[in-house]
Amino acid sequence: MAIYSFWIFDRHCNCIFDREWTLSSNSSSGTVNSKQNEETAKLLYGMVFSLRSMTQKVSSGPLKNEIKSIATGKYRIHVYCTASGLQFVLITDFKQQSYTEVLQYIYSHIYVKYVAHNLFSAYDFADNKNETRGQGFRKIANRNFVQSLESFLSPMIVQ
Amino acid sequence: MPQAVLVINKSGGLIYHRDFEEVEVEVEDRNKPSSNDLLILASTLHSTFAIASQLTPKAIQLQQQPLPNLVPYVPMIDPDNLVPRKKLGSFKGDDYFKEPFQNWNKSGIRSIKTDQFTVYIYQSLTGLKLVAMVSNRSDTINETVVNNLLRRIYCLYSDYVMKDPFYSLEMPIKSELFDTKLRNLVKQL
Repeated sequence: MAIYSFWIFDRHCNCIFDREWTLSSNSSSGTVNSKQNEETAKLLYGMVFSLRSMTQKVSSGPLKNEIKSIATGKYRIHVYCTASGLQFVLITDFKQQSYTEVLQYIYSHIYVKYVAHNLFSAYDFADNKNETRGQGFRKIANRNFVQSLESFLSPMIVQ
Repeated sequence: MPQAVLVINKSGGLIYHRDFEEVEVEVEDRNKPSSNDLLILASTLHSTFAIASQLTPKAIQLQQQPLPNLVPYVPMIDPDNLVPRKKLGSFKGDDYFKEPFQNWNKSGIRSIKTDQFTVYIYQSLTGLKLVAMVSNRSDTINETVVNNLLRRIYCLYSDYVMKDPFYSLEMPIKSELFDTKLRNLVKQL
C-alpha cells in the first residue's frame, strides 16, 4: 500500500475534504468525507500546524521555511501549503520520498479546475463566522472533483 | 555535520542544546532562536511526537504486520587519527557498538523534513529524546547515519551525565566532559 489517506484543509482550519483507503486490494474501499474522521482531521491539522510554526521560528534567511514531510515509524505525512491558506496532506508509506509533484498536480489541475473555477461551488467553505476556527462542517462534495481525484490517485494505492 | 543537537527529557523539557553552525554562514541572515524558542521547540516536538502515534492510518492498523525496525550499523571513522583511537569512556573497543540496533521509536515522529533542514528524533526506551537538526545542504547524511550518531550520543549521555553525582535527573545538563565529547563526536561526521 503506497498511499493511505488524503486530506484538504482550508484557511479556517477546517477539514474540507478527506479520503481514506483501507484495503490495498480495492481502490474504492475506505471512506470519503466521513464523520468518523473528524477527530483524526483535527489531530492531523493540529500536528502539522504546530510543527509548521515551530520550523518557521527556527528558520534562517528571508524565505519561509515550509514543512515538506513528517516521517514516523509507520507512515509518512506529506504537506503542501498554498498562499491562500489551503493545506493538502497526503499520508503514505516509505516507498517514495517525495510526493510534492503529486500534491501540486492535485491542487493545480483538480482543485483549481473543479472547485475554484466552479461557480456553483462555494469558494469559501465557511459560510459565516460560526464556521471559522475549525468549527466548520462543509465538505467538498463536487462529483467531478471526487471522481477525477479518485482516478488520479487510484494507481498509487498499490505501488 | 548537524546544525544542532538537542536533548529532551521524558517530560518534554529541553535539557541540553548545542549549536554547530559554521561561522562563515551569513550571520546577519540567520535569526538565532532564543532559548525560550528552543524550549517551545522541545515541548512542541514532545507533544506532536505523542499525537503522531494516534494518527496511524486504518490500513496499517488492519494489517497487523510488524514493520522492520532495525537500524543498520554505520561505522564512524575519524579521518585524522585512524591509528590509535582514544578511549571511549567505559566502552571497550574502538567503537561504542558494532552491530545493527533496534529503533525503539516505533510509532512516534522520526524525522521532519522542511525546505532548509531535516530534524531527526531518536528516542530511548526510557523516554529520553535526542534530536539532531541537519541542513539540507549536506547530502551525505541520511536517517541511518543520524540514528547511529544519536545512539553514540546516548552512549555519551549514559557515561558522562548519568554517572555525574552532581547531576539531578531531568535537569539541564551542565557537564563539560559531555560537551567536549559530543563536540568531538559530531566533528567526525
